[in-house]
Amino acid sequence: MALKNHSGILFKVSIIVALFHIPLFSQDVVQYFKTNCASCHTIGGGRLTGPDLKNVTQRQSREWLVKWILDPEGILNSGDPYALKLQKESRGAIMRRTPGINQDLANALLNLIDEESKKEKSQFAGTRLSDRPLLPGDIEEGRKLFTGQKALINGGPSCIGCHHVNSFNGILGGGRLGPNLTRAYARLQGRKGLSAWLIAPPGLTMSPVFKEHPLDEKEILPLVAFLKNETEKDAPQSSALMINFILFGLGGVVVLLVLFDLIWSRRFKGVRQALLKESKQIFYSKR
Amino acid sequence: MDVRSQISMVFHLDKCIGCHTCSIACKNIWTDRKGTEYMWWNNVETKPGTGYPTKWEDQEKYKGGWENVKGKLKLRSTGKAKIIFNIFHNPHMPSMNDYYEPWTYKYETLFNAPEGTDQPTALPISMVTGKYMDIEAGPNWDDDLSGSPIYAENDPNLSALTPEQKSQLFAIQRLVFFYFPRICNHCLNPACVASCPSGALYKRGEDGIVLIDQERCRGWRSCVAACPYKKSYYNWSTGKSEKCILCFPRIESGQAPACFHSCVGRIRYLGVLLYDADKIEEVAKKSDTELVEAQRSMILDPFDPEVIQAALENGIHEQVITAAQNSPVYKFVKIWKIALPPHIEFRTLPMLFYVPPLLPVMSSFNGDTIKNMGEGFFPDFDKARAPIEFFGKLFAAGNNSKIRYVLKKQMAVRTYRRAVTVGDIEMDLAKKMLREADCSVEEAEAIYKLTSLCTFNDRFVIPPAHREEAIEMLRDPLEYKQSAGFGFREEPKRGS
Repeated sequence: MALKNHSGILFKVSIIVALFHIPLFSQDVVQYFKTNCASCHTIGGGRLTGPDLKNVTQRQSREWLVKWILDPEGILNSGDPYALKLQKESRGAIMRRTPGINQDLANALLNLIDEESKKEKSQFAGTRLSDRPLLPGDIEEGRKLFTGQKALINGGPSCIGCHHVNSFNGILGGGRLGPNLTRAYARLQGRKGLSAWLIAPPGLTMSPVFKEHPLDEKEILPLVAFLKNETEKDAPQSSALMINFILFGLGGVVVLLVLFDLIWSRRFKGVRQALLKESKQIFYSKR
Repeated sequence: MDVRSQISMVFHLDKCIGCHTCSIACKNIWTDRKGTEYMWWNNVETKPGTGYPTKWEDQEKYKGGWENVKGKLKLRSTGKAKIIFNIFHNPHMPSMNDYYEPWTYKYETLFNAPEGTDQPTALPISMVTGKYMDIEAGPNWDDDLSGSPIYAENDPNLSALTPEQKSQLFAIQRLVFFYFPRICNHCLNPACVASCPSGALYKRGEDGIVLIDQERCRGWRSCVAACPYKKSYYNWSTGKSEKCILCFPRIESGQAPACFHSCVGRIRYLGVLLYDADKIEEVAKKSDTELVEAQRSMILDPFDPEVIQAALENGIHEQVITAAQNSPVYKFVKIWKIALPPHIEFRTLPMLFYVPPLLPVMSSFNGDTIKNMGEGFFPDFDKARAPIEFFGKLFAAGNNSKIRYVLKKQMAVRTYRRAVTVGDIEMDLAKKMLREADCSVEEAEAIYKLTSLCTFNDRFVIPPAHREEAIEMLRDPLEYKQSAGFGFREEPKRGS
């Protein structure tokens, strides 16, 4: 009995905890939209990677939209004609299921979009970045930010930690954890899409990392300029880099082994074999 | 005074002929099981030589035994802090290479070989892997090879010798060697017991035999690393460590251990010693040169009424005290002072003592003539081929005066007996030698008798085990009275 009572309390507590975790409150929904949606969508600001969401509920049934938000890939795979049209319009980019999404949250997001659509100027109307033209100096500045020669102002990790661009020819190149960014500028459909992406990087890997340490506005344009330059150069992937990477790894292992051997050079290595070797040496040196 | 009894041993090296009967007796009884093939709880080494495992005496390599660090006794191999860094691996253990890879022969190849121009041979097979192998080493690989430049020249005890002495020792036709049989010393301050993280090793209260509890052993092998004599071995089949048990089932039934019983040269003596356990730590901390004397001072006189009283109070049985009074070991070690502990500088206080061999040079071959050495019948032992320093390192932690005393006394007894039985030495001269050697005529006769004419019962004075008393400390002996011998040593594993 005691156990049952106990589990009852646990159940209640877990419900309360769950309630607080689902961002039903509008401020949470706004934040969720910013971190997960705004990098591809605007509300009344024109299309980025994905379509402008202004009055989206008038274009499609709410039921379909909720299903779409919950499982975009599933609907695409089912061959839904509207979904395929969307994919075509965004040049093949596929919407991802966003982290922590559920039915309630999807509805709350659609409510938010409805509300924002009514406004003259929505807070999600588009990037706040300046429209100044990209300068040649920006490319060099962007390269430094990308490679980490210049640290990011808000303490985020430099791009090179996870990403590679083909023009890097160092021993290691960039990281292989994230995708190759050589053609990112083209993939995200130019300056607008790329900047929106960089303001709040979405995705399971990047969003938790950059949530607390977002890129500064001053850093975004140079990075865009750098990535644009990379797309324009479109250097082929260097195969030497991969070989270098493996060789460097092997070399590192050898260096470490030698180091360990030196540090523990006085370790016990057996007695009899050493004795035989030594005695043979002495014997032959005498002859 | 905390009086305890210890079954102790003396090996008389002058009598050892190096036949390895002891080793074989032990192997046949205890270590012919799977996983123990490489173990020799009893082994016989040729000295000078590196022994088994190779160079076991070199604690710079094996880190066995104790050291006195600023007045504190510490194990060389392990400790509460050290063990954290070596928790998965004891770094200073002999490998199979340092023992040897045990082998047998594929005898059927002798009979099945096709006809050919060569003799058929039995091929050696490893007893560990079961594959064909090249035999590279054995437990007595350097047997009788005292001149060998690999094994003999690397004997750690030779470090006490001057280069001149060394070159003399190894000169052709001056080669000298003696045999050094070894078993577990059943030490008073055993490093193996102290090192065990599982508490599986213990020294039996009633007779001081050091044992490994096979149920508690977890195979850490700390004892293998800690024992400076390398007399604890790891059984790779059971995953537990094993060591010499001094044939305690035989001792408990009044028989000498198998290696003692089978000894052809009758070199082995066994008996009880009473000692003062309060002094162990103090003695083990003494400087190297004091150690032999300090250990001797721990051994108590079993005739002293005070000692007897304290022994009885400590639960030592009267019959054990009587056995201690008749103990041949007590005579060799304490009264005659001619038996010495091996490598007491390891500070484990071994309770197996050795009578160092005389190894006198009778004559030397000089060109075409044979020259008799020395003035008397026996030459001066300072001119003997095995230098005193070598024995000093082996049996007295460098205190050569102890060796000199032993050899002088043995020489005097021999001279005296020669004077008695053959008569070609003047009795006055013999008696003078005895006096100089701190030995009375009676003592000389007693030494002679216990050395040369000893019977089985003279050599082995085994006290009644009184297991019923020993077991009372742990459990009620009447527990099983009604079951007439039936019952379980271990509870059956079925539902309660």
